[in-house]
Amino acid sequence: MKIVACYNVKGGIGKTAAAVNLAFLAAHEGARTLVWDLDPQGAASFYFRIKPKVKKGSKGLLTGKKALEEVVKGTDYPNLDLIPADFSYRNLDLQLDEVKKSNTRIQKLLKPLASEYDFIFLDCPPSISLVSENTLIAADAVVVPTIPTTLSLRTLDQIIEFCNKLNIDHTKISTFFSMTDSRKKLHKQIVENPPQHVRVLGTSIPYASDVERMGIYRQPVPVFAGNSRAAKAYRTLWEEIKSVLG
Amino acid sequence: MKSLHSAQFIVSQSIDSDAIFTLLQHEFSLYETGHTRLKCHYLDTFDWRMYRKNYVCSWYQTANKRAKNREGIFFIHEKETGNSICELPLSRVPGFSKDINHQAYRRMLDNILGIRALMTVAVLTVRRRQLIILDEEHKTLALLQLEQYTIDESADDDQPAGRLIVCPVRGYPKVFKRVVQLVTEQLKLPHSREALLDEVLAVTGKRPDTYKLTGFQELESSFSTWEAVRILLQHLFSVMQANEPGLREAIDTEFLHDYRVAVRRIRSILGQIKHVFPDKLLAYFKREFFWLGTVTTPTRDLDMYLLKFDGYIQALPDDLQQHLEMFRLFLQRHWKIEHARLCRALDSKRYQKLASEWQKILANADMPLQSEMSTGSQAQETCNAAEPVRIVARQRIWKLYKRILKEGGSITPQSHDEGLHELRKSCKKFRYLIEFFQDYYVGKSIKQLLKPLKQLQDNLGDFQDLCVQIEQLNGFAEQMQQEGLADTKTIMAMGVLVENLNKRKKALRAEFGRQFESFIQPEKKAVFVEALRV
Repeated sequence: MKIVACYNVKGGIGKTAAAVNLAFLAAHEGARTLVWDLDPQGAASFYFRIKPKVKKGSKGLLTGKKALEEVVKGTDYPNLDLIPADFSYRNLDLQLDEVKKSNTRIQKLLKPLASEYDFIFLDCPPSISLVSENTLIAADAVVVPTIPTTLSLRTLDQIIEFCNKLNIDHTKISTFFSMTDSRKKLHKQIVENPPQHVRVLGTSIPYASDVERMGIYRQPVPVFAGNSRAAKAYRTLWEEIKSVLG
Repeated sequence: MKSLHSAQFIVSQSIDSDAIFTLLQHEFSLYETGHTRLKCHYLDTFDWRMYRKNYVCSWYQTANKRAKNREGIFFIHEKETGNSICELPLSRVPGFSKDINHQAYRRMLDNILGIRALMTVAVLTVRRRQLIILDEEHKTLALLQLEQYTIDESADDDQPAGRLIVCPVRGYPKVFKRVVQLVTEQLKLPHSREALLDEVLAVTGKRPDTYKLTGFQELESSFSTWEAVRILLQHLFSVMQANEPGLREAIDTEFLHDYRVAVRRIRSILGQIKHVFPDKLLAYFKREFFWLGTVTTPTRDLDMYLLKFDGYIQALPDDLQQHLEMFRLFLQRHWKIEHARLCRALDSKRYQKLASEWQKILANADMPLQSEMSTGSQAQETCNAAEPVRIVARQRIWKLYKRILKEGGSITPQSHDEGLHELRKSCKKFRYLIEFFQDYYVGKSIKQLLKPLKQLQDNLGDFQDLCVQIEQLNGFAEQMQQEGLADTKTIMAMGVLVENLNKRKKALRAEFGRQFESFIQPEKKAVFVEALRV
């Protein structure tokens, strides 16, 4: 089982879209795949049309009253399951703080699912917090969507710094450019001259209406626009991530 | 968490999707898809390895030849529960486990199939109508599939009954249970008791237990030698016949292997159970089955190289690995030539004659009677035919056991390799006889002897294989140079390969003494003597 965390401190940069589309592509290839929607906003759950509700909430999961496998929901796609978001996840930080070995709790919760899934995608909330720390520790690969702007690159540096501070191996971080607009000069410049101190994947996800339309169709892009630029980009991105995972 | 299994019901032609739709629409939001036609290829090995492990393998593809998306899906289901274990997109019917990209499933198949190939055991056309139960967000909560089946090779009136399959979606057990309840109580549809594959096999007359290489019919204690030998030889000939199409088509290497084992076993009976056949006839069959063994050997040898090839490569230093690829090409090229030669031998008049003469003699249930009526030397030639087989077999087995002790005991670290080869042949004959006549042994104590015997045979077998391979490899290297297939690096890689094989050979030779000691332990001998007691 490989855990892929889609993470960024910033919101609205294509984390959930990446998690949903990459997970769909993995499942479509036959890999047993799970998405855990850790963001209380529940966007991934929304895309899969699954109610953002977990019985006994995050506390039930953290205290072991409810096993993670009991709250898994099947999506509309073969091989692809979801652990929905729950409003209680907004307090996940505080709840994690109350349990022992608080920074490895998510890793521990996921362990029993190792034989059941080939890939687990964590759709992380946008923050620097104990939840982020947990996901960064649990993940085999941390995928950081980055908009090719100065501020976003600055955020990327903050994430790497955060990893260094926590002694988390930052080589598991891979970034890719998200919402790129080739008409914008700055985007073009940054994509052509990516940062050197972190692994930057070759694929950029374009700023495309098909990605936005995921919210209308409530489906992954390859389902309703299989031949679109965005779908092709996600496919290439998935191939790259697989080779990073080895 | 306990997962829910799909529920399957038998449906008559009169039940259509409208009835089901009407039933469910009061409680659920429904979406109905149109008809789809699918081709389902049921897959298993020649010896039904998946089925025997309680799995059903299938490959589905749309039957619509104009469809844009003709990618197939490969499934593994649990036979009893119908649970899907694996669902993978796959563009063509898989042959071997290596054709599956998914690591965990490939490993699972590898463990079950080994080197055997998956073959299509039945093709079914499935007409499917699907009802999807949705919630207010249009999320799928359960699936209902109404299916009608047509077996491609079967008459129209002899087809499996249609089925309604209710598939649960994880996390929505209540909906599934309610649907099953409604279908059971309101439509009063009976649950299907057996897997669809079983029904298909019943219609097509295929039985998953029909092929066994070693499972002989039980021999009665009152059987004469001819009666018993006739049954064994008939069985072995049927094994040869069953494997012949597969070896001709080269579906996998086991067809040829099993064919050769059957030939060897026949030769073993001809050679070991003496005075059953008239001398002239015996000489003819011995010669012809020896010939059959010989014509199958080159292809089998090349099969062995190719099966072990990846292992050969891995054992080489990294910088030499790629240079062995030319050797693989050479082997593949020669395999084609030898296999064509083998097929020609099987098409030859000589082989046809052997098969027909063999069938003629085995059809003769009265040979012992004839021999009793015959006189002089002819009666002497077949004097064992009417004797009780348990006596004749026991004497021969005992004789072989003593021969093994003698041959094995005379082998020293300085002995020539040939001595081990002779011992290997004796062990093989001994093992075959034990297996043929196992019904006559007292209790199950013989198994205690079989284990060390098998280990000894493995040691001797591997040793002999290495002797042959080392000798052949040197010849191959020369041949490759003549054929312009080998450069210096390739020859060097083959040299390292020979060196590796030599090391392995030495290790096996050193191991022999321990294996033989284990076989001849006095307590094992006592067990054997007891087992042979009539």
